[in-house]
Amino acid sequence: MNARRSVSYVPFLLLVLAFFCSPTYSQCKVGVPAIKVGAQGAASGPHSDYGRQIEMGSIMAMEEINAAGGILGCKVEVRFMDDENKAATGVRNARMLVTDWGAHFLVGTDSSGVAMAIAPVLAELKRIEFFTHAATHRLTEELVAQKGMREIVRVSVPVYQDAIIAALIFKDRKDIKRWANIGADYEYGYVSWNLFKETLKKFRPDVEFVGEAWAPFLTLDFSPHISAVMAQKPDAIFATPWAGEAVQLLRQALLQGVFDNTQAWWQAMGGSVDVLEGITNEVKADRFKGKLWATARYIHNWPDTVENKQFIERFQKRWKRLPNYSAETTYSAFFIMKAAVEKAGSVETSRVIDAMKGMNIRNPGGVRVFRDADHQFIYNVPAGRPVIDPRFPIAVLGDLKIFPAKDYYRHPPFTPVSAAK
Amino acid sequence: MSGRISPRLAIALAALLLALLLLPWVAGRYPVYLVMHILILAVFSLGFNLLFGYTGLLSFGQAGFFAVGAYACAKILLVVPNLFLGLIGGVVIAGVFALVLGALSVRHTRIYFSMLTLAFGMMIYSVAWKWRDFTGGDDGLVGIPRAPLEIPGVFSVSVSAIEAYYYVVVALSLLAIYVMRRLVHSPLGLALQAIRDSETRAAYAGIAVRKYRLVAFTIAGVYAGLAGAMLSPLENTITPPVAHWSTSAEPVLATLLGGIHSFGGPIVGAALFYIIRDVIVRFTEYWLLVFGIIVVALVMGFPEGVMSVFRKNRGQTPMKPGSDPK
Repeated sequence: MNARRSVSYVPFLLLVLAFFCSPTYSQCKVGVPAIKVGAQGAASGPHSDYGRQIEMGSIMAMEEINAAGGILGCKVEVRFMDDENKAATGVRNARMLVTDWGAHFLVGTDSSGVAMAIAPVLAELKRIEFFTHAATHRLTEELVAQKGMREIVRVSVPVYQDAIIAALIFKDRKDIKRWANIGADYEYGYVSWNLFKETLKKFRPDVEFVGEAWAPFLTLDFSPHISAVMAQKPDAIFATPWAGEAVQLLRQALLQGVFDNTQAWWQAMGGSVDVLEGITNEVKADRFKGKLWATARYIHNWPDTVENKQFIERFQKRWKRLPNYSAETTYSAFFIMKAAVEKAGSVETSRVIDAMKGMNIRNPGGVRVFRDADHQFIYNVPAGRPVIDPRFPIAVLGDLKIFPAKDYYRHPPFTPVSAAK
Repeated sequence: MSGRISPRLAIALAALLLALLLLPWVAGRYPVYLVMHILILAVFSLGFNLLFGYTGLLSFGQAGFFAVGAYACAKILLVVPNLFLGLIGGVVIAGVFALVLGALSVRHTRIYFSMLTLAFGMMIYSVAWKWRDFTGGDDGLVGIPRAPLEIPGVFSVSVSAIEAYYYVVVALSLLAIYVMRRLVHSPLGLALQAIRDSETRAAYAGIAVRKYRLVAFTIAGVYAGLAGAMLSPLENTITPPVAHWSTSAEPVLATLLGGIHSFGGPIVGAALFYIIRDVIVRFTEYWLLVFGIIVVALVMGFPEGVMSVFRKNRGQTPMKPGSDPK
């Protein structure tokens, strides 16, 4: 064998070597070349960080599962698409991911409107979607519990956290009697405010709800909304604009002296990484005077468990960022899917759904328990006040108040909540 | 805009028709879904081009009528599960809206007309967004059924499978294309072109300019309504963005891509619009950026639209507004 000829064998030998040395998935026990997961979220526009976090959570979960041998010996593949926060795009993506790319599972979606549009199509596509952000209560209460759409599974906590937890925290604040609302001008905002009022009234018949201002998506100037509600001299503000809009709202509230003239401000989803990044300087300067309260569907500094700490370390190493809640819920959805497929021994939709019954799984965000009546994974989530912790580069939620999931989730049979102003 | 069809074109159209009919048998569900979207946009764009290419009126509010058709069909289907009723209801209600808003819009031309249509379109968008009790607000109407195609006591055909509904969309789209072709080659179509080329000359020739514009506007609204009505059962959900001005831009873009001064331009443009977008989204999340570059290249490369290539190959010169027909 001359030198030239032997060189030509090198690529072949390398290929053979790679075949035997790399993790192989030839033993896939569910009979597919790979388990494909189609992910989508808002990856453009003002809420794009949430879609990016869904993408980061998906990819990291895929890499970790594959490095550990896959699911029942099957490699996992992920394809992420931008739903542009539009229902039509979300539905088109779902159809493309399933009927063209061959996705076995779907995961993601930020907007409630997108989720509500995709959900009815899932039965036709015969696929489960793990919803990891969209917070509308109707997804699980109406579509699953009432209409029996079994392909819907939600891993993240719905609007209960934004509304019911707030009521549980502030029911004991006797100094606050007058509440006003600066709401996101769509269903999420209306339901949050209505559910908050309904819950708080049960504990505190003496409270008054004195003003409402509604800000549509893409609002840049919140000063008229702030002025309108402050004219009613509220003791506290309940606010639901989220992401960059929450940062803008809080900064303008500071400029207008709201934190000098009120006792508290509840910022739903204000504990998300993107909002905390945006207000870190203000927290450092104590400009909120300890009156700002916030929550998120998962926060990186809680729970204080090995799983969560290791998840944070791996995430920061992989992406040079902290995960927000949509990254954690999406990451966890992959491991829920993995456990369900392993139990079912199949990727067939109805068998995987059946396998989730009674599931109790530990994720970075804590223990999640599957509730069969509405296909909702329930778990504990804290709320607190943004503070500076030297262990983290941005503000984090401190002074945490944690409520058991059974206390702040709504339970079937569900009573109607008004989804109107 | 000749009314004659060459033998070669006739063969090509027959082959295309055969391909359309065979598609669900030879292709997966996604290509079927994509072709339905192309046909819906083609019908929408044909109506738009009757206004723009044939009458010289640039509407920025066609999505309003598209949405009226979609919401009307959806509301009917949610109450009475009968696809006939839903589709007819969507078309008729969109036509009534177009007639009323058209009566106000055609009083003006050029940019004033465009701005009026934009304003009316965005008013419909606001109603869809705000009237939560009726339209479902930002969540829209969910769970719209693909109800049976039924005349009670006569027949009932299930179209719940997407492949079955595909044939409904194909049949209605082909019918709409045929009717539009007959329209633009009728005296009405010629009168509209005369108005486009010279409003003053047309008026002197005895054409009731405003009345003809209103007819064109209403027909365009009916086509938008039909397109919207076909969309509701396809997607099972209708949300306010269907009425947004950015949806009005889709037929504009499709028509510009395909060719304003060609009957088939909007149809070819609709196909290009979806195919280009579908190919790009497979490779990048930043599809709008790439799509924009391709559209710019196409518009600069084919100022008369892609269909102009076929005309030039056949030795024909495109008929531009103001030019005398050869």
